[in-house]
Amino acid sequence: MLVSLPAFAEPQRFSLAEKLLFTALTIASAWAFWLRFGVVLNKILKSKKDPGFHLFPIAKRVRDFVWEVLFQAKVIRERPLAGLAHAFVFWAFCAFALVTLNHAADAFGIPFLDPAGPVSRFYFYFAAVFAAACAIGILALFIRRFLIRPKWLGEKLSWESGFIALLIFVLMVTYLASFFVADTGTSVRLLWWVHTLALLIFLPIIPHTKHLHLLLSPFTVFLSRGSFSQIPPLNGDEDFGLIAGADLTQIVSLQAYSCVECGRCTEHCPAANTGKLLNPKEIILGVRAYLNDLGPACDQPLLGKYNSQQAVFQCTTCGACEFQCPVGIEHLPILVGLRRGAVNTGAWDDNYGAKLFLNLERGSNSLGLNPAERDKFIEKQQLPIFDGTQEYCLWLGCMGGYDPKGREIVADFARIMNYLGSSYGVLRKEKCTGDPVRRLGNDLLFQQLAEANLEVLAQNKVKKIVTICPHCVRTIQEDWKEYGVPPEIEHHSEFLARFADKLPSQPAEGYGLQNEGYGLQNEGYGLQNEGDGLQNEGYGLQNEGYGLQNEGYGLQNEGYGLQNEGDGLQNEGYGLQNEGYGLQNEGYGLQNEGYGLQPVHPILPNSPGALAPDVSPSRVPQVPLLGPGNEKIVFHDPCYLGRYRNVYEEPRTVAALAGELVEAPRNRERSFCCGAGGGLTFLGEETGERVSHHRAAELVATGAQTIATACPFCNSMFRDALASTGEPAPHLLDIAQLVARSIPPANSQTR
Amino acid sequence: MKIIVAIKQVPDRDAPIRIDAAGKWIEESDLQYAMNEPDAYALEEALQLKEKHGGEVIVLSAGPESVGTTIREALAKGADRAIHIVCDDLASRDALGVARLLAEAAKQESPDLLLTGLQSEDLGLGQTGVIVAELLGLPHATLILHVEKTDTGIEVKRELEEGWFQTIQLPTPAVLTIQSGGAKLRYATLMGIKRAKMKEVKQLAAADLASATAPVVVLEQLALPRKQRSTQMLAGTPKETAAALVEKLRTEAHVL
Repeated sequence: MLVSLPAFAEPQRFSLAEKLLFTALTIASAWAFWLRFGVVLNKILKSKKDPGFHLFPIAKRVRDFVWEVLFQAKVIRERPLAGLAHAFVFWAFCAFALVTLNHAADAFGIPFLDPAGPVSRFYFYFAAVFAAACAIGILALFIRRFLIRPKWLGEKLSWESGFIALLIFVLMVTYLASFFVADTGTSVRLLWWVHTLALLIFLPIIPHTKHLHLLLSPFTVFLSRGSFSQIPPLNGDEDFGLIAGADLTQIVSLQAYSCVECGRCTEHCPAANTGKLLNPKEIILGVRAYLNDLGPACDQPLLGKYNSQQAVFQCTTCGACEFQCPVGIEHLPILVGLRRGAVNTGAWDDNYGAKLFLNLERGSNSLGLNPAERDKFIEKQQLPIFDGTQEYCLWLGCMGGYDPKGREIVADFARIMNYLGSSYGVLRKEKCTGDPVRRLGNDLLFQQLAEANLEVLAQNKVKKIVTICPHCVRTIQEDWKEYGVPPEIEHHSEFLARFADKLPSQPAEGYGLQNEGYGLQNEGYGLQNEGDGLQNEGYGLQNEGYGLQNEGYGLQNEGYGLQNEGDGLQNEGYGLQNEGYGLQNEGYGLQNEGYGLQPVHPILPNSPGALAPDVSPSRVPQVPLLGPGNEKIVFHDPCYLGRYRNVYEEPRTVAALAGELVEAPRNRERSFCCGAGGGLTFLGEETGERVSHHRAAELVATGAQTIATACPFCNSMFRDALASTGEPAPHLLDIAQLVARSIPPANSQTR
Repeated sequence: MKIIVAIKQVPDRDAPIRIDAAGKWIEESDLQYAMNEPDAYALEEALQLKEKHGGEVIVLSAGPESVGTTIREALAKGADRAIHIVCDDLASRDALGVARLLAEAAKQESPDLLLTGLQSEDLGLGQTGVIVAELLGLPHATLILHVEKTDTGIEVKRELEEGWFQTIQLPTPAVLTIQSGGAKLRYATLMGIKRAKMKEVKQLAAADLASATAPVVVLEQLALPRKQRSTQMLAGTPKETAAALVEKLRTEAHVL
């Protein structure tokens, strides 16, 4: 059967003139290649060495190389179709290695792959499959770039990309065509020469364009800094960050030259998506332009002509850029490096920034509040003081200790810890972990805060910390390592997930749907009010099942009754069926498969009007009208818990105890930032659309009744965003608050 | 311009205050210290003048060893050098005693301007700067928010009550006490701290400058204000209750 398949044809003999021509062209091509590549390589090697770079442990590097380069995992996963097309182009290049060598050897009469021999024949067919896939792939990518024109590839059409696509197409087509010609005659020779010319033109183009990534990106991925958002230590007394070209290190230069301009970083950037100046791709290309024009030994500032200071300070350090990059560029250390250069020298002149720094220079917390306030909170909540004997130190942080909402989250979490019988205490004095100043690039303040805190923790013999804020977790666990040995620390979602089986997932007795005085089953009120009754904008009573099934009063009110702008009493089932008293039933009360009775605002029994927008459920007498499986909850992945720490399942495990989870379109590692990170929450109003509003709208659009957060900053940002729309909004609760709703209040006293 | 800035290190504003056993001072064991805020504004004003007109800014501070951190902070923010009057008994000296030390040290430098905060955040006497001016025989102005250099000396903006300001012209050399809030304070930077390590801190012994004479003003006792709440309901016609109120404010509350 193999005999009937076409065989690959190669010219049998080359004349001396041809051999000489081929040699001359190859030398010329190689020389033209080196002319530019040598310059680039030189610039990278002449850059400053990276302090703190360790080649070992090498296992992760090898793993990343195999996974991201050879398997093209990131390329495919984050943009599936285009990624797959690219993967085939890449794999074809790899498969073609021997083919190309043989092609050249053929010119000199020493081809080593014999088209007749079985092994070689197999190899030729093997390469042909990839050639076909590559040809289709490159054609598809060409159409995408020039006809479909996705926004993230940029406004300008890249003609060099088109030309390269053409060359690749020609290479594949000439190879495939060689199966259908005889190995004598002009056709085969023509195909050979066209293929050769395409190769020899391609080679010198590589270092002049973004196709340099062909050579560099395997190294870039392999020689990464070692972990996500790894901010390098400053090196010596004269190092203040990335101020000028002379501060660019080899890793930064290598990464700048590896950029393929794909725009995946920008596509997920919260600043770029809300009309800000910041565009992560342009930051990297700005560094590359600097290197091209001025080189690494220059003392002209990096911020100015090539990148703007304003853009750099619009970054929330969410990490979506670095996480996405298929060629291994690490944007965060570069952005923080540029900020360091501006802040450590005092070049950054910002009122809010100065205020934050001055607050932390003199005081203990980033909010500029009197530490006595934190003491008062601890006393009022009767939180136990850490004395070295307890297992956990509950770290409050600035939000947990001073912000009203943060305090509610801490109070609820403490209640859960009491319920679980955990042994914990809070420190008498805490200073800010320094997260905002670290991300803004103020190394002086960060060092002071880290060292002061490490000393207090050591004095108090703290071994394990649990906290509600992912920024504290990250800063304590990773960033403080530069100044000492921090204790073990975990986020409260990880803690709660471990004890998920001990936590209640149903309302306790006395609340919810079976009690006297509250909820929907009771002797007296039920859904009884003098006002608007079940008033909501949305579906009203929507369920597939029994709907309002009761024996008694049912929906009794003096007012509007079931008033809603939406679908009203919509169900497929029994509808309003009752005989007798209130909404009284045996079981879980309004239990159905669907939305159940879903008012958008909690209904306060006895109050006329009964509409309480923006009332946090923890201040309303507990009315979780719905059991698990009814309340739709959308969990927002915080940047510093998700991308920074790879924790996605634990908070979902916890949130699932309280309702049914739905997912936002951008979730898990693609979660869209709330806008608070990078110190930005302290920096005053943004230009353009607010990042928090953008994300809040996405979360609201999922139709969930509750937005669950696991970070007090996310919570704060969304609280503001939801309030500013003026529309009825979903509940906004931390995962600890969701769980604590079902815990009897008796646990609010400490044991 | 050669500018001296006299800076005091004071207990942190938010620190919980406890009176010591003797009832004459506060417990210092648990305290954090910081630069007196009006002095920080004085430093900022001096640095801005130097940036505009050139010259030198010298930090002057009296106190124990621990004052070194505040001096370094001032150097980190941009002062050129410092003079530390090492004095362990600062609390036992009155405003006149402290002013004598500062004046003696300043005399040796012959500055064009001496700036200091209008009062300290711990004692709040508001006198030290003024006394220094008198001891040096120099003109002075207080509660200054802004300083401009003129051909004949300086022109300053002085804060009065109720949103009123006063503009005063002075010849140099002069002494000014600076009010908080006039300028935007700069933050300490890593570069500043590193450079500060190289800057000169001259140490002078207090005894060499001015012997500790008996203080003219003596602090007898320090006590926390007593918080108490008592409500008296006054009965009668409005005229009667008004009269009774005035009487009580005069004789019981002693505010009139």
